[in-house]
Amino acid sequence: MLRQDINELLTQTGPGTPMGDLFRQYWIPALLAEELPENDSPPVRVKLLSERLIAFRDSEGRYGLIDEFCAHRGASLWFGRNEGSGLRCPYHGWKYDVTGQCIEVPSEADNSSFCENVKLRAYPLVKVGDVLWTHMGDPAKRPDLPEFEFAHVPPEQTYTSKRWQQCNWLQAFEGGIDSSHVTFLHSGGLKSDPLFKGAKGNEYNMKDTKPFFEVADSEGGLFVGARRNAEEGSYYWRITPYVMPAFTMVPPRGDHPLHGHFWVPIDDENCWTYSFDYHPGRPLTAAERQAMIDGHGVHSKNIPGTYRPMANMDNDYLIDREAQKRGETYSGVAGIAMQDASLQESMGPIVDRTKERLVPADSGIIKARQKLRKAAIALRDEGVTPPGVDTAHHRVRSAAVVLPQAESFLDSCRDAIKATPGVPHSSV
Amino acid sequence: MSSLPMYASESAKAASASESRYRITVPIAPARNARVIALDTRAASVARRISDGPWANARFYTCEAAPDRGPADEFLLYRLDGVPAALDDMLRDTDVVVIMATDDSGGTRAAAIGSACSARAITTAGVVLGDGFEADDAVAALRPHARVLLLSADESDAFELLRALRV
Ligand code: FES
Ligand SMILES: [Fe+2]
Repeated sequence: MLRQDINELLTQTGPGTPMGDLFRQYWIPALLAEELPENDSPPVRVKLLSERLIAFRDSEGRYGLIDEFCAHRGASLWFGRNEGSGLRCPYHGWKYDVTGQCIEVPSEADNSSFCENVKLRAYPLVKVGDVLWTHMGDPAKRPDLPEFEFAHVPPEQTYTSKRWQQCNWLQAFEGGIDSSHVTFLHSGGLKSDPLFKGAKGNEYNMKDTKPFFEVADSEGGLFVGARRNAEEGSYYWRITPYVMPAFTMVPPRGDHPLHGHFWVPIDDENCWTYSFDYHPGRPLTAAERQAMIDGHGVHSKNIPGTYRPMANMDNDYLIDREAQKRGETYSGVAGIAMQDASLQESMGPIVDRTKERLVPADSGIIKARQKLRKAAIALRDEGVTPPGVDTAHHRVRSAAVVLPQAESFLDSCRDAIKATPGVPHSSV
Repeated sequence: MSSLPMYASESAKAASASESRYRITVPIAPARNARVIALDTRAASVARRISDGPWANARFYTCEAAPDRGPADEFLLYRLDGVPAALDDMLRDTDVVVIMATDDSGGTRAAAIGSACSARAITTAGVVLGDGFEADDAVAALRPHARVLLLSADESDAFELLRALRV
C-alpha cells in the first residue's frame, strides 16, 4: 500500500506539482514524427503533463510546440492555417512562428511593433529517431538530447508506435517493471505472438511460474532481475531496466527484436504508451515490421487515423471468453498491449493505492515509487537533478540470459545491460 | 461501439473517477505477520531505527554466530530487548520473513535462516543495504531462498518495504 498523500504526489503531473516538475527535467516523447509528416502539414493537438499544446511543422521544416490557444481571444490554433512559415489563427488572422512568437497582427498598423510583445508559451520539439521529443522545463537547465538506443539505431532497425491509455501514467508504468504478471496474463502470447514465440527462454518461462526477483539500484533508475529455473545448476534471468522517470524495457526473446516503453502523462487520468521494437544488429524483417503494424508484440491495433486502440474500454476490449476457454489467451483479451491496458484501466483512472495488498514479489514497484518520490522531493527542496537526466543513463538494454546458479546477474551481465552500438543483444 | 452495459447485472465500469469512488471501503486488516531479522551489527542498528514504526504484527530480531565450538551454521537469535529467542518459536505463525544484511559476516546465518523458512513455506525477502557491494556473499547465501532480494544503498527502503507489505 501507499499513503494517500504519496499516491497524490506520484500521480499528479500538472504544472507546479512536484512530480510535474520532475517530468519537466527530462526530454519526453511529445508525438510520433509520423504525426507531422511534411512541411505545412496539419497542426496536431498535444496534451502533455496537463498542458494543452499545438504541434506543427512549418514551411521550412522547423518543428514547434506552442500553447494551443491564440493570444488574442483564445481560439484553438488547431484550426490554424499552417502556411508561410507560421501558424495563423483563422479567427482574426494573428500568426505565430514555431517559437510561439507572434509575427503578425493584421488589425495593427503595418509597421506596428505590437506583435513583438506577444509570445505564446512554447517548448522545443526535436526529432530523434521516430519520435518528436520535448523539454517542458527551465531552458537554462535543458539537458542533452535523449540517447536511448531505440531512437539511435538506423531507421530500418527500429519501429515505434503509441496508444492512448485511459488511466494515470503511474499504474501503466508499473506494469512495465512488474515481471511477475507475464507468466499469467501474457502466457498465450508466448506461444502464438509472432514477435515472441519460438524462443528457448519461453520454455523456462512456462515451466517455472514462480520466479524469484532481485531489484538493484542503477545510476539512472533500477534493474529488476527475474529468475527462473533453467537446466540443472543454472537459472534463466530476465533483466528489466528502468530509467527515470518513465522508460522501461522488456527482456528479449531469442533473436526477436528488443522492446520497451515510454510512459508519458497526458493529464492525471490519461497517458500515452509509446512502444518500440528495435534490433541492435540488423534491419527488422518485412514480416516483423508488418507484425508490429498489425498490433502484435507490445504494439496495438489502433482505430485508423487515431492512436486509440480498437479494443478499448467502450467495447470491453473485445473480450473473447471462448478464446480464453480454448487456451489462446489467458484473460480473453487479445494482444500483449491490450492485456496490460485492459487491467490497468480497469483499476479506475487513478488507482487508490491505500487499498493494495502488496507482496514481496512487488518489490520492483515498491522501489520504483520510492525512487520517484525521493527524486521529486530532492528536486523540490534542494534543486537536485534527478537520475535519468544524464544521457549516459539512457544507454541500457534489457537482457535474457542463462547463468550458473551462483552468479549474480549484475556482475555477469555488466556488458549485456549496456547499450553498445553494433553489439548484439543478449537473449535466449 | 456502445458504452451501455452488456448485461443487466453489469451496471458500471470503473471507467471514470466518479465511478471508481463507489469502490467498497472496508478497513484492510494487516495480513502479514512479519519477522525481521538483522544479520550483522549495522543491520541491527537499522532494525532498531525502524522497529518503532507503525507496525501491527512485525517483530524484530538480531542474529549472532554462536560462540566458537558449535557447527558453523549455528547461531543465536535475540529480540531487540536482548532476550534470546528460539528459531522455531520465532517462525511459528509467521508468513513472511525479511532478512537484512549490510556485509558478508552473516552469510552462513542467512543460508541457515533461509532454508529454515523454505522448509516451512514462509516467504522470504532479503534486503541487502550497502554500496556497491560489500555483501556479495550474503547476497549469494540469500539468493536460493529469498523470493525477493532488494539490493539498495538506501536504508529507508527497508522501512518502505515493510510499510508496503502492511506488516
Ligand atoms: S492478481 Fe494482481 S491485480 Fe489481481
Ligand atoms: Fe504486461
